[in-house]
Amino acid sequence: MNGLPRLVIALTLISLGAGLLLSLVESQTRAPIAEQRRLETLRALQTVLPAFDNSPDADTVDLVFGQDKKGRELTRTFFRGRQGGVLSGVAFTVVAPDGYSGNIAMMVGVDPEGTVVGLEILSHAETPGLGDKINRDDFKGQFKGKTLEGVDWRVKKDGGDFDQITGATISPRAVVKAVHQGMQFLQSHRTEVLATQGNSQ
Amino acid sequence: MSLLKEFRKGLWRENAVFRLLLGLCPTLAVTTSAENGLGMGLATTFVLVGSNVVVSLMRQVIPSKVRIPAFIVIIATFVTVVQLCMEAYFYDLYKALGIFIPLIVVNCVILGRAEAFASKNRLLPALVDGLGMGVGFTLALFVLGAVRELFGSGTLLGYAVFGSSYQPLLLLILPPGAFIAMGLLLAGMNSFDARRR
Repeated sequence: MNGLPRLVIALTLISLGAGLLLSLVESQTRAPIAEQRRLETLRALQTVLPAFDNSPDADTVDLVFGQDKKGRELTRTFFRGRQGGVLSGVAFTVVAPDGYSGNIAMMVGVDPEGTVVGLEILSHAETPGLGDKINRDDFKGQFKGKTLEGVDWRVKKDGGDFDQITGATISPRAVVKAVHQGMQFLQSHRTEVLATQGNSQ
Repeated sequence: MSLLKEFRKGLWRENAVFRLLLGLCPTLAVTTSAENGLGMGLATTFVLVGSNVVVSLMRQVIPSKVRIPAFIVIIATFVTVVQLCMEAYFYDLYKALGIFIPLIVVNCVILGRAEAFASKNRLLPALVDGLGMGVGFTLALFVLGAVRELFGSGTLLGYAVFGSSYQPLLLLILPPGAFIAMGLLLAGMNSFDARRR
């Protein structure tokens, strides 16, 4: 037993042991990981939505908003916050593909009248110290109270109503554009988002 | 005490980052803050100790022709364990370190210790070697991260150190700053060593 079979058996046994250990660890960490991801969504929802007393992450509507390069349908999830059973706001995530480096994912909260309540950056890879200032409250705060009508959804450098960041125009421009598109999508699908019953009530 | 010697060599004389210049990819990439450096260092230490122990225990069983794939499987297993546990219990750190956690697999410090030390030594020395190398690696990442964070964003472990009038030296947080800070630290260590001799 010194030729190829020995090598194969040794490697197989090692991989088997590795697989066993990993499946054990995975089964132990599955629930905490799912909980962490849920908490992260919930934290973002709490910052962008008006007061709610339901579980917006369980009261959702999925709408198709386009297709990816392979022709598969892309859906967008709308989280609905309710206070005492009355709709208090809708939140959804948008992804800006045109940041300075990589995608910028964010969550937008809108009240039933269509006014932005809050914006939260979920993930980004913008330059530290420059583009990452999109995560600062004074940048995110200026979205609050904005509506689709009567606001020029561009950064000031392009003639719009939103302050850009000194030294970084690309990141704010991408954020403003993505939020604007998300708002337009919500506007054109208002009835579905606001009226239909959720996936689970 | 030879065990103590095995431990201490990783801290200074054979420090993976500052002396052997191994594992520089994660070193340069994640040390934008002291906390990230510490987290990455501890994760690497865990993998290093785990893989050293297992490789040392199995050194008689693993045929030398397939030792490298066997080592990689063992290392990758520990890395995945770290990744899952970190995502479950240290979610913020997990998000900050991102892609560099799975990349611990290809950190050549770990394969280097498995090949050069653990596969030739008994359990206890291998464990101590992994611990020493890991602590040395963690220290190096922590120091580099602290220097970059201190001057790059004016904070240390998230606490403001300099007043608000301090204009952060952004360059140090950016990728070129990693090389510059690393080079300056190396120069400092070399001149310290030269003077002591």
